Amino acid sequence: MKIEVTMPRMAPEMNSGVLCAWLKGEGDRVQKGEALFEVETEKVVLQVEAECGGTVARLLADEGDEVPVGGVVAVLEDER
Amino acid sequence: MSARPEWLKVRFSREAVGEVAGLMSRYGLNTVCREANCPNRGECCAKRTATFLILGGNCTRNCRFCNIACGAPEAVDPEEPENVARAARELGLRHVVVTSVTRDDLPDGGAAHFARTIEAIRAMLPDATVEVLIPDLKGDPASLDIVLAARPDVLNHNVETVEALYAAVRPQAKYERSLAVLRYCKDAAPDVLTKTGFMVGLGETDGQIERLLDDVRTAGCDLLTIGQYLPPTKAHAPLHRYVSPEEFDRYRDLALAKGFRYVASAPLARSSYRAQEALEAARRPE
Repeated sequence: MKIEVTMPRMAPEMNSGVLCAWLKGEGDRVQKGEALFEVETEKVVLQVEAECGGTVARLLADEGDEVPVGGVVAVLEDER
Repeated sequence: MSARPEWLKVRFSREAVGEVAGLMSRYGLNTVCREANCPNRGECCAKRTATFLILGGNCTRNCRFCNIACGAPEAVDPEEPENVARAARELGLRHVVVTSVTRDDLPDGGAAHFARTIEAIRAMLPDATVEVLIPDLKGDPASLDIVLAARPDVLNHNVETVEALYAAVRPQAKYERSLAVLRYCKDAAPDVLTKTGFMVGLGETDGQIERLLDDVRTAGCDLLTIGQYLPPTKAHAPLHRYVSPEEFDRYRDLALAKGFRYVASAPLARSSYRAQEALEAARRPE
């Protein structure tokens, strides 16, 4: 099953986030809770954890892209 | 790539943050974690801890470092103390930390509401310890007495920054008044641990930091937190510099040498970050 990974809202007033680094590439396996990508916020860099395990099927944002909250940044192929 | 130093990378679990946020929303509560956009929110929510923000979401002061909205104060919710206790019970907290916005509009600054909240937590969670992080309550001993009478385990009041930066960073506060709050509480209730915290990276000098440490220690303060200032937005007080973890270690050693019982000094140390650890360490026999 394909799972869409989206840009989370990390602060109440956040509308978009800059995806500053991918920590996994297409074809890599990721476990639930493992850091998948980094987002730069006003205060810190947040390492966003994968919400489910699977294989990274597609990366849909480049490093440096500003992505709206809820925007799809990757697709995982679920293990189920 | 990010321009942030490596030590300012933190984990974020949407699931954990969402779960705690949902619980707070059900009880109609605010957290300082959310309102201040705390960088440790992911870590704390993953451990199911949070710091309650009582007396509304709007502050009557406009400190230049703080993300909490300055605006018209809200009506005090009489159900809030009970709801804090219920949420703390649902989270399974063993150490409950409660802070508030500043309420200069209330005659007692919100002291009685703090006291009711402490009492509600005690009633529902008799084995839990309670820490309050209070505003200066205008330095009024009568208001401080109301909070102290409810017997918190820890009374925290942050000095936030060195005296020289008050006009730029805390324009509606007074350094001497904050020291007086700490001094009064220690004198009035010696068995209540007192705690304070300040930020670095705002342009303070080592000499000013050393004086601050001496001042709060002389005021009898037991516990201390030192953390990196991180501007919430570009409209806030500007960042002067990032302080390295090694410098934080040096500040911690300096503070411990001055007699503090526990010092949390790290880039992401915040007032209530790992507060239970601080309390347990301070109560451990030497």
